Amino acid sequence: MSMSRRHQYITLVSSLPHLGKLFSRKEVPISEFRLRQRLTMLEADHARLLKEMIEVTAWAGVARYRNDLDIIHRARDVVADLVDYPDLQHLVGARMETRTLIAALRRRRDGQEVAGDISSWGYGRWCARIAENWSDPAFGVGHFMPWVGEAHRLMRAGDHIAVERLALTEVFRQLDHYGNLHEFDFEAVAIYALRWIIVERWSRYDEQNARERLQSLLDAALRGARGSGSQEHDLLSNDNETA
Amino acid sequence: MSEFVVALGWFGLFAPVALGAIGSAWGCALGGSAAIGAMLDSEGGYGRYIGVSLMPSSQVIYGIVIMFSLQQTSVDAANGAALFGIGVLSGATMLFTGIRQGEVLASAIHASKAKPEIFGISLAPAAVLEGFSVFALVFALVLAGSIPT
Repeated sequence: MSMSRRHQYITLVSSLPHLGKLFSRKEVPISEFRLRQRLTMLEADHARLLKEMIEVTAWAGVARYRNDLDIIHRARDVVADLVDYPDLQHLVGARMETRTLIAALRRRRDGQEVAGDISSWGYGRWCARIAENWSDPAFGVGHFMPWVGEAHRLMRAGDHIAVERLALTEVFRQLDHYGNLHEFDFEAVAIYALRWIIVERWSRYDEQNARERLQSLLDAALRGARGSGSQEHDLLSNDNETA
Repeated sequence: MSEFVVALGWFGLFAPVALGAIGSAWGCALGGSAAIGAMLDSEGGYGRYIGVSLMPSSQVIYGIVIMFSLQQTSVDAANGAALFGIGVLSGATMLFTGIRQGEVLASAIHASKAKPEIFGISLAPAAVLEGFSVFALVFALVLAGSIPT
């Protein structure tokens, strides 16, 4: 890394406010506009790599793709592009693996009886293990990733918010792990941006959730007033497990 | 041969100043970069960020003091080797401690922005590095007294 770039990245990293612990705050400490403005300090190559990483890790980026296979191919390309930054490669890989486990849990909950062609919807190290241990609540990875068993239980119970929280906690743990290895470099900036996206999404998610809950309570109350006691609303839609 | 030793002597005489200046410049640039970033993200207290980022300035001052203590009426074959040894090694110390001090100051500035209450204690590593450059200064002065004239 050249000297002037190093100094530039020290300035950039110090100009980013501390994000704090996940779920500990209601709003992001820096707006998207300001964050984008700060990120203009990135080198052109780094800005491109960060954009690619966000494309395959953040929900808003992934939503553009038609199917799982496209995302998997894209993720492989991004990992190949990140060849100079092994920690970011591991991070993207771990994120895709977390998403694969959540997808597997969801498929099983929806009644899928075998893993099927897991290579068309799964990514990473655990695919074979998931396919072999389809009937195990934690897909045979529970002893080193206890959150999978917990997510299974919560998903069965229909507690989507808790599943989301659990998955985000796991992703944040991964980001913290690699973030601790970097202070003033591109990796540190990229990890900051990925954490920011999660914090920002959670803050919006909460608000949206509260609004839906209020609406459903209002509906129920109105129905109650009209004499119909049944409550049909699912408080949460089913497509929340996206981390 | 003696011309070579004389050349080394002059080299050693100026090394503490030159290497100290490089160390200070490098360290202040590292600390200053963090201070500027921190100013973008805070509403006040700019002075203290800039203030601590200037801490690596001391290395060049120590270098100047060492140079004056090494200065002789003439640099010759008898004192050239001593000037070279003391000058280059004390200069290298100033260079290294200056850069490292800049790095720990950048970390301290960044960390104390998230947690203002650690501002004072986060400067402790930089202060320890300052202590190491003072060791190099003091013992360079002691040895300068025993250079043959």
